[in-house]
Amino acid sequence: MSDKYIRAISADAVAPGGVKAVELDGKEIVVCNCGGKYYAVQRRCGHMNAPLDMGTLDGTYLTCAMHCAQFDVATGEALSGPVPPDFGGEIPPRLLGEYFQNVGMLMGRIRTESIRTYPTKLEAGWVLVAPQAGD
Amino acid sequence: MNTESRKKALHYFYEKVVGPLGFKFTPDAELREFLLEQEVILEGKHGVPFCPCQPLRHDRARDMQIVCPCIPFHRKHFDAIQRCWCGLFVHQDVTDPDKLPQLPPKEVGLE
Repeated sequence: MSDKYIRAISADAVAPGGVKAVELDGKEIVVCNCGGKYYAVQRRCGHMNAPLDMGTLDGTYLTCAMHCAQFDVATGEALSGPVPPDFGGEIPPRLLGEYFQNVGMLMGRIRTESIRTYPTKLEAGWVLVAPQAGD
Repeated sequence: MNTESRKKALHYFYEKVVGPLGFKFTPDAELREFLLEQEVILEGKHGVPFCPCQPLRHDRARDMQIVCPCIPFHRKHFDAIQRCWCGLFVHQDVTDPDKLPQLPPKEVGLE
């Protein structure tokens, strides 16, 4: 285990409420700006590995853009699983319906795991991350 | 992911929705935790956190009106009784939710 901090990204480059992806020591990480407090978590969603930098940050809650699984970036805790597809009461075309039925069956067997967090600190306008901490 | 985590997420997002509507979570912590837990169970079953105290009728248009927080769909009624139907939310000035009975619309002159 090492808590060696590495410059990840300029603090100005991540707007408040923003999420940016970086690669540090071969690890894909996203840096989140929660109202001036920076958090770093693994880039891959704990549900189906989608890139979390495409998601939406609200406070410390990050919602994945793919199936809306949610995580608390302060702790890495998985808060919500995927949102199931909804056709608004309409019957979808047969092929699409079958596709979503299969996907739904598979997704029902996928557990949403908590995501990994990394220590961060601010120094001279940079966000520093310790990508190896906890290894 | 577990029930407590999901309750935390629902709590966070509901607060943002009901605040501007003039409501807040009930100060009765035990009731709040119980109702949120029931919503997590309903969400696991139906994919949507329906109100735990209203029946599903399998009529989509009607059922969508009991997705929590359902305040906008029952505004006049809930404003009259100062709480939502199940009591998860109360008017912001309410300090003692036990004093607010669960009155149906016709008993407050709305039907």
